Amino acid sequence: MFQQTWRRAAAAVVGLLTLTLVACSEEEPNKDLSGNRAGAMADYGVGDQFTATEPVSFSMLYNNHTFYPLKEDWLLWSEITKRTNVKLEPVVVPASDYEQKRSLLIGAGDAPMIIPKTYPAQASPFVSSGAVLPVSDYLDLMPHFTEKIEKWRMQPEIDTLRQSDGKFYVLPGMHEKPWHEYSLAVRADVLDQLGLPVPKTWDDVYTMLKAMRARYPDTYPFSDRWGKPTPGGALLNFLGASYGTLAGWNYQHATWVPGEKKFVYTGASEQYKQMLQFLNKLVAEKLMDPESFTQSDDAARQKLANGRSFVISANAQTLVNELRPDLAKTQPNARLVKIPLPVGPAGEINPASRLESGVMISSKARESKNFVAMMQFIDWLYYSDAGQEFAKWGVEGTTYTKDAAGRRAPTPDVTIVGLNPRGSKHLQKDFGFANGVFAYGGKLDLVQSFFPPEELEFQKVMNGRTPIAVAPPYPLTDEEREQASLWETPLKDHVTQNSLKFILGQRPLTEWDAYVGELKAKNSEQYLDMVNKAYGRFQKSNG
Amino acid sequence: MVTVDRAARRPPTARRRGIRPTRGYRVFQAINGVILTGVVVVTLYPFLNIVARSLSDEAYIIAGRVSLVPRGFDLTSYRLVMSDAMFWTNYRNTVMYTVLATVIALVLTTCYAYVLSKPQLKGRGALVGIAVFTMFFSGGLIPNYVLITSLGMKNTVWAVVVPNAISVFNLLVMKAFFESLPAELEEAAAVDGLHTYGILLRIVLPLSKAVIATMVLFYAVSFWNSWFTAFLYLDQQDMFPVTVYLRNLIAGATGAQSAGGVADADAVQAAATLQSVTIVLTTLPILAVYPFIQRYFVSGVMLGAVKG
Repeated sequence: MFQQTWRRAAAAVVGLLTLTLVACSEEEPNKDLSGNRAGAMADYGVGDQFTATEPVSFSMLYNNHTFYPLKEDWLLWSEITKRTNVKLEPVVVPASDYEQKRSLLIGAGDAPMIIPKTYPAQASPFVSSGAVLPVSDYLDLMPHFTEKIEKWRMQPEIDTLRQSDGKFYVLPGMHEKPWHEYSLAVRADVLDQLGLPVPKTWDDVYTMLKAMRARYPDTYPFSDRWGKPTPGGALLNFLGASYGTLAGWNYQHATWVPGEKKFVYTGASEQYKQMLQFLNKLVAEKLMDPESFTQSDDAARQKLANGRSFVISANAQTLVNELRPDLAKTQPNARLVKIPLPVGPAGEINPASRLESGVMISSKARESKNFVAMMQFIDWLYYSDAGQEFAKWGVEGTTYTKDAAGRRAPTPDVTIVGLNPRGSKHLQKDFGFANGVFAYGGKLDLVQSFFPPEELEFQKVMNGRTPIAVAPPYPLTDEEREQASLWETPLKDHVTQNSLKFILGQRPLTEWDAYVGELKAKNSEQYLDMVNKAYGRFQKSNG
Repeated sequence: MVTVDRAARRPPTARRRGIRPTRGYRVFQAINGVILTGVVVVTLYPFLNIVARSLSDEAYIIAGRVSLVPRGFDLTSYRLVMSDAMFWTNYRNTVMYTVLATVIALVLTTCYAYVLSKPQLKGRGALVGIAVFTMFFSGGLIPNYVLITSLGMKNTVWAVVVPNAISVFNLLVMKAFFESLPAELEEAAAVDGLHTYGILLRIVLPLSKAVIATMVLFYAVSFWNSWFTAFLYLDQQDMFPVTVYLRNLIAGATGAQSAGGVADADAVQAAATLQSVTIVLTTLPILAVYPFIQRYFVSGVMLGAVKG
């Protein structure tokens, strides 16, 4: 056994060396798939139901969700086999540590063939190891995927996935329309009491908080959650988008400036400064709880539930599952609504990305004789309209029905997110559908088919706004990425730390120039040079 | 503690003769008492809080009104957790893994420690060195994974019970304990005709109850609490120990960010009570073991420590 491992390791080293040598001579990937077509359909095109011509099985990494832990007798598994002749062999990983196990398995060369639930940025570290397949080489096997890119004009988004070799390594989840979830939840009953309308802009939000504070001088009207591990993660994310910058959960070091056709350093940009100024104003006038940026979610929820605050960040789920039930128990007359994302200097925009977590393929799968069948299977399940509907709603007649207008509803004994609350069986727990591993993205009506009316209303407003422009890709080479990560950590720490100081007033905003100087001392300019150079390089070779 | 006991038992005459505790000592004791009471409060409070939460109605927890006494007494969560078949499967696994791993660990550690305690052993320094080396350096995650996989132990019980069978710290404590046993006892036994194994089994081990009890406790607690090895080497949920189950439950209830902001359609989060209930159910058995072993505990480690 040991000997084998050694031999394998030696072979790997030799392989790597050859690869490097070969890479220098611009080798075309081996496109000969004649030995990998077992079970594949000869002509499989858009609108076709994929069915393997012989029974095949594929191993897949399975992100086991707490709320609906995997069951082997799910209708999902048997129905997949019935429709496609494919048996999936899940390698079960608890959702709590999915990413760690994924890295481990890929690093140890023991990864299953299909690796779902991978966010686009998470693929980069695996690229240089060669353990993950450059899926962009095999798009001709995936008619539904390529059709969606074309029909929904996804090309700019797809380009952001490309690595320095011009290829991409993850098949992303795709939304027809951007789906923005997060915004502020506001106590509507307090608004009524104060005679205020629902705020439309961030300036209105300021006015509203001011009025709340005037009426309830002992409270901080706004006390926020999602402060851990990224301080102010959610709020900075959507507030930043309204100001035209990237902050919080979505902090990225380089911001694209379309007018100048170059990237600037985010944490030193004027937009970022304006965003901090706004928050600083809220904190200085005691309209916002200074603990907002670092307290635990539970603490923020408690303050809201006990009427010690009236405004909090929320999405549809937390609104329905957490915030409202909290309030119902403590303040039965309270009414909490999620308001459309307030508009800032960046105008009426919808900041959500249309890409989502997707599927990586292990390089080993390329050698399988069923490789083509596997790609067709993934194409059908994840990207065809029929496959997406199946993954989300299950089997028509058994788990759901469809009326003449195409509206779907669960069958009487099936319950899901507040639809049919009295149903005895749960679409996720008892059937395995609407499973985060298989079901996401897709056409607008499918994505929104679980939404309650108020969320549909919210989405209607958001979809009326302009999607934000997608920044062009700037794929870094391996050495550059290594250098970048050395620079990124201290830069990010400094930005995060000082953002908080500026917001909380521990450092006056008059020191902004000094702060920008400190960033320069931490190589922010060299970093940008590298990014802009990589951008230029990519434009030249692929533009 | 020991000193206080002795002072209390000392006959009154001795006291009068002026071994009476000095003022400084009494002040020290008072301060000591205050600090230790503080430590007790700090360690006990979170635990009692969890117990209280597990028995409370959720409304009171959200309102932040549950501290030490359960409010709105409610057992629904207990019923809910206990009705989940996977919880019991994983619970059974934990018990099995803990028992098996502790037995294996105890046998191996005792053998290794006993051998190392003999000064006449050739290459003793090297053997100690090998053990101590692993305290500071390890192969790393991926090599360990490759090793376990190529040994064919992945997805078997052995992947959980074998890799951590010898804890170097425990080994050294045990070695020190064996060294403190009088060599004359073993010599006498040898004169009476016992061979090496006889000496170990009939003389040394019966005299080592204290240290063995301590080791059982150390090992059992660490195996009971461990989740990482199981998480690494097992791919089937009906093989997981309950700690992995618990960890997933708790992680599922925190943070939307890990889901990348776009969570699953129905990521209903485990309620606060549910977490508490699972924590209580998981820690209870190991807590129950503590009092029975604890009386050996101090002497076991102390004997090792003084000599070592």
